[in-house]
Amino acid sequence: MSFRLSCPSCGPRDVNEFAYGGELAARPQERPDVRELGSYLYFRANVAGVQREWWFHRLGCELWFQAERDTRTNEVLRTDACVSETQAPLADGPVEPADAAIPPEPAV
Amino acid sequence: MRLPAQPGERLDRTRPLTFTFEGATVEAFEGDTIASALYAGGRRVFSRSFKYHRPRGLLCCTGSCPNCLMQVDGAPGIRACIEPARAGAVVRAQNVLGSLDRDALAVIGKIGGPFTPVGFYYRTMIRPRWAWPYYEKVLRNLAGLGRVDRHGRRTRRFDTEHRRTQVLVIGGSEGGVTAARAAAAAGEQVVLVDEGLSLELGGLDELGIEVVAPARAIGIYEGGLVPVDAGNVLLRFRAERIVVATGSLDQPLVFPGNDLVGVMLPNGIRRLVREWALRPGERAVVIAPAVEPIVDDLRAAGTEVARVFDLNERPPKEIVARGRKGRLASVRVDGETVACDLLVMSSGRQPAYSLLAQAGARIEYDAATGIFVPRDLPANVEAAGSVAGTSHAVPNLFPASAGKRRFVCLCEDVTTKDVRRAIAEGFDSLELAKRYTTVTMGPCQGRLCHLASVRLYARETGSDEAAIGTTTARPPWSPVTLGLLAGRGHEPVKHTSLHRRHEELGARMMWAGAWRRVHSYGDPAEETRAVHRAVGVIDVSTLGKLVVSGPDAVAFLERLYPNRFVDLKPGRIRYGVLGTDAGRIMDDGTIGRLSEQQLYVTTTSTGAEAVLEWFEWWNAVWRMDVEIVDVTGALAAVNVAGPNARELLGRLTELDVSPDGFRYLDLKEAPVAGTPCLLLRIGFVGELGYEIHCPSPLAEHLWDTLLERGADLGVRPFGLEAQRILRLEKQHIIVGQDTDSESNAIDAGMPWIVKLDKEDFVGKWALEHLQERGPRERLVGFELDGAAVPAEGSQVVVAGRPAGRVTSARWSDELQRSIGLAWVPPALAEEGSRLEIRLNGSLQPAVVRARPFFDPEGTRLRS
Amino acid sequence: MSDLAFLSPSLASAVDGVSPRYRSPLEHALAGAGDALRDLSTLGKLEVRRELDAALEAGAPEVVRIAPNRTLVLCEAEAAPALAAQLGAVDVSAALAGLALSGERLMRRLTDLDLDGLPAMGAVAGIQCTVLRDEDEFRLFFAQEYGDHVAAVVLDAMAGLR
Ligand code: FES
Ligand SMILES: [Zn+2]
Repeated sequence: MSFRLSCPSCGPRDVNEFAYGGELAARPQERPDVRELGSYLYFRANVAGVQREWWFHRLGCELWFQAERDTRTNEVLRTDACVSETQAPLADGPVEPADAAIPPEPAV
Repeated sequence: MRLPAQPGERLDRTRPLTFTFEGATVEAFEGDTIASALYAGGRRVFSRSFKYHRPRGLLCCTGSCPNCLMQVDGAPGIRACIEPARAGAVVRAQNVLGSLDRDALAVIGKIGGPFTPVGFYYRTMIRPRWAWPYYEKVLRNLAGLGRVDRHGRRTRRFDTEHRRTQVLVIGGSEGGVTAARAAAAAGEQVVLVDEGLSLELGGLDELGIEVVAPARAIGIYEGGLVPVDAGNVLLRFRAERIVVATGSLDQPLVFPGNDLVGVMLPNGIRRLVREWALRPGERAVVIAPAVEPIVDDLRAAGTEVARVFDLNERPPKEIVARGRKGRLASVRVDGETVACDLLVMSSGRQPAYSLLAQAGARIEYDAATGIFVPRDLPANVEAAGSVAGTSHAVPNLFPASAGKRRFVCLCEDVTTKDVRRAIAEGFDSLELAKRYTTVTMGPCQGRLCHLASVRLYARETGSDEAAIGTTTARPPWSPVTLGLLAGRGHEPVKHTSLHRRHEELGARMMWAGAWRRVHSYGDPAEETRAVHRAVGVIDVSTLGKLVVSGPDAVAFLERLYPNRFVDLKPGRIRYGVLGTDAGRIMDDGTIGRLSEQQLYVTTTSTGAEAVLEWFEWWNAVWRMDVEIVDVTGALAAVNVAGPNARELLGRLTELDVSPDGFRYLDLKEAPVAGTPCLLLRIGFVGELGYEIHCPSPLAEHLWDTLLERGADLGVRPFGLEAQRILRLEKQHIIVGQDTDSESNAIDAGMPWIVKLDKEDFVGKWALEHLQERGPRERLVGFELDGAAVPAEGSQVVVAGRPAGRVTSARWSDELQRSIGLAWVPPALAEEGSRLEIRLNGSLQPAVVRARPFFDPEGTRLRS
Repeated sequence: MSDLAFLSPSLASAVDGVSPRYRSPLEHALAGAGDALRDLSTLGKLEVRRELDAALEAGAPEVVRIAPNRTLVLCEAEAAPALAAQLGAVDVSAALAGLALSGERLMRRLTDLDLDGLPAMGAVAGIQCTVLRDEDEFRLFFAQEYGDHVAAVVLDAMAGLR
C-alpha cells in the first residue's frame, strides 16, 4: 500500500504513518442479547465500495480520525477529525448484516 | 571491427578500456555497453535460452528482451546491451553448463517429447510420489537464470531517497523531452527520468530540468508513488503530475526460426550502427512495415541488403528462417529462399503502456492500428509521445508457415504449440493461460510477447484481440535488484537508559517487541536466590507508562477496565486487567492514583503502544474531559525486590519506608539518590519490592547507586528469566504468555477484578454472558511429580485425551520442583486434581495447585 | 494535584555533595561521530496537549505548533518544571532525544515528509519524530529509547552520501 491519507491536523501523509482502526461499528446503547452482541462484535459490512473507517496517526500527531475510503481503489474521498455526538461510531452504525448470516449462538 | 566514426555516436574513442568476459580480455571504449564491446569483438551468441538452452543473440539492443542477460561482477540477470562497459568488470555467461558456445544443457532442447512442454513438471514428475524430492532438486538446479552466491555478503550499498517534484517525466523520448520543456517553460519544477537510451537530453539542465539517468521507473503505485531505480539509490518520487513518455516497442514477428542468432529488431540495428559504429551483419533481409529507415541504417553500416519485404505493401504468407548451429543461414519467404546472416524483422510498434495501466488507465485494442492503446488516463497522469498510441502494427501471424518451433515468448521459451496445447487443456482465459504457460511473465514482462500472444489466443479461440484484452500490468516494469528494494534495512529498536550498563555486565539480551531486554546476567537460578535471600534489581523501564488526568480521569478508567477505581484513594495502587468488548484480556498493569484527578497507569512492555492507541480511541469516541500523556520513555524504572529491599531503599531516601509508612500497594513521590522519583510498592516477583520510576537521563545514576550502596546487602541485578521463574512461583500471569486472544479475566482466575455491578465498561456484556454460561476452561498452577520441565504449549492429557495446554513451566530452584501454569477443564481446576502432561512422547503425572507455590499467604510480599 | 516532579530531570539535587549524573540518550551513540551532528537532548521540552492560548505563549521561548491540539515548547533545561506549571504542560525533557543535523539531501534519505512543510510530526528513520527546519539546518525530536537507532540510521545515511 502506498496511498496517501490526509490527517485532519497534519495534512497528506504516506499511509504507512497511520494505523488502521477498522470500519465503524455501532456499540449497542443498551445491554444487548447474545445475538446483538455477536453482531456488534463479529460482523462487519465489509463493503466493496466507500466505507467509513477509523485511522490513527500513529507516527504523527496521534489523532484518531475517520476517513471515507473506496475499498476497491483505496481512493480516500475525505477525512475528518470531528467525531461529534451524532457522528460517533456508537450512533453511526454499519450496514445490518443479513439475518441468515448470524449463527444462533455466537461464541462470545 | 568498428565502422569509421558515425555522427552522434556514443563512443569516446580517445578513452579505451578493458573488461573480462569468461576470463578473456575484451576491449571497449568509454560509451560502449558490455554487449556492444562484445559484438565489436565478434561475439554473436550472448545467452542460452531459459528452458531449451538454445543459443540466443542480440535482438532488441534496448533492454527489452531476455537475450543478453549476463552475470556482471557477481550480479545475475544484467542486460548487457544497456549495461555500460566499465573498466575491470568481470562478465560471465549465465544459464549454461560449460560455455555459451557449447552448453551441455542444450540437450534439453533436443530431447523434446514429454519433458519440455509447459507445465511438464506438473504432469511427468509426479509419479512415483516419493521421488518428487529428487525431481525437485534437479528442477531447482535447472530453473532460474544466473546464480546467486548464497553465502555472499552485501557487496554493494543501496540507499533510499524520498523525492518530491511538481512534474515527473518518465522517458527521454521526443515526447518526454517536449513535455519536460513545456512544463519548465511554465515555471514548473521538472524531473526527467531516462533509461540512458535517449540521445536528446543535452541542454535540459540549462532549463532547470533535473535529468536522472540512467535510471528506470519501476512502476506507478497507489497514490502516484514512482520508485525509480537509479543504480545504487532507490528514489521514491511523489509528483503532482506524472508524464509517461516510455515510447513504443518493436514487436517481433512469429515464424519458425524466429529465435535464431542473427534475427534482430529494427531499433537494435539502429543502435548498433548509429551509437556504437558496428556493422550488424554482412548480408541482410528486411521484413517490416516501415522499411526505409532500416535500409538506411544497414547501408550506412555497409551491410548488403539482399531483399526487402514491406509488410505495409504486400505482406508475405509464409516466413521460415533456417540456421546452422543456431545461427541464421537463410530465410524463405513465400517460397523464395535468400541466404543471409541478418534478418531485420518487425510487425510494427506497440505503445509501452504498462506504467499507464499500472496508474489506472484502461487499455483498449484499436483494430485500425492493430495495437493496444491507453485510454481514460487517471487525473495527474499524462501520456506523451508514441506511448499515447500513435504507432501501429500489422496483425500477421503466418499460420501457413510450417516447420520448426515458433517462439511466442523468448524469455520462457514458449512456442505457439505450447499455447495451443494450453487452450486445448482448458486454459481458455488469457489470465489463466498466462499463469500456466508463463507467457509474459519473464524478464521482458510482455514487452515483446504480449501482443503476439493475444493475437495467437484470439486466432486459436476464434475471437479477436479486443475481446481477449490484456493481462493486468503490475510492477516491476523494469527488473530491479532485490538489494535496492531492501535498502539499508534498519529496523527500529528500543534501548532502555540502562542498556550500556547491561552490556558492561555481560548480559545476555533478548527481544521483547522492539525492546532489547536482559534475559540474564549468566545464571538465572542464582539471580532468583538473590531475590529470595537478599535483594535483586531488575530494569523494568520498558513498562508502558501513561499519566491520565482531568476531571473525568477516574470515570474514564472505570469505563475502560472491569475494575473499580472510584474507591481507589490517592497514594494507592490497584492491579488492573484491560479487556475488549468481547471480554478478552488485552493487557494488564497497575493503576496508581496520584491525586483526585491524576492517575498513573502502567502497561506491559510490549502492549504499551496498543494500550495508548486503545485509550486514545475510546477517548475519541467518548469525548470525556481527560488528557492522556505517554511517559513511557520519559521514565526509567527499576524494581528492587527481596528481603533487603527496604534496607537498601531506606539508605537512599528520606521517605519513611517502614511497613506502616510505606505499605504494600502504596504510591509515593520522593527523591531517591537525589533524583525525583515515583515509587510503587508492588510485588510481581513475590518478595517485598519497590518499583522506582525516575527520569530516564538519571537512570544510570540511580542504578549505580543501588548497586554501590547495596553491595553489603548482597544486591544483584536479575533478568527476565529469573523474573519469569519468580512470578511463576507466585502464579502471577503474563498477558500474552499465559493468556491468548481468547482468554478472559474470569476464566483466567481473576473474577475478583470484574465488577459486573458497574453501570457499563468495555467488555461488560460479554463478561456477563460468560458468567452466565460458566467457564469452559480455567488457568491453574500445576507441579510435576518429576524434575522434567515441559515445553510451553505442551498438551495436558486427561483420561488419555487432550484436555488443555501448558502456557509456562520452569524449574524452581527455591521449591526444588518443576512448576507451571496450564489451561485445564473447569472440573480439574480444584486443588489436588491429577492430570498428565505430554513430555517428549511420554506422559508425566502432575497435580493442580490452586494457590501460589511460594508464600501463598503473601506474608513476604506484604512484610 | 501532583506536580509530576518525577518527570523532570532538572529537579535532581545533590546528595552528600554528589549530584546525580545526567546522561543524554545520544551520548554513547554520538561519541566519535564528529561535529556534523549536535545533541539537543539536554534541552528542556514541554508538551501542551490542547490549544495553547496566546497570552501564555508569550512567556515561552520557542513554540512549535505541530497540530491544533499539540504544541512542543523548547526551553532551557532548568526552566522546564516552572514553565510546565505555568503553561499547564507536561515536562517531556526526559522523554525526547534531540538531534540537529544539516543538509536537505540527508533528510531525504531519512524521511518522506515534505521538507518545505516543516515543522511537522511524522515518520523519520521509521519512527515518530518532530522535525523543525531553519534553512539547511534540521532539528529532530523523538522518543529517547530510539536514540541509538536514530543515531545509527543518520550516521549510516551520512556514510552513504560521502
Ligand atoms: S538484446 Fe539486450 S535486452 Fe534485448
Ligand atoms: Zn496527524
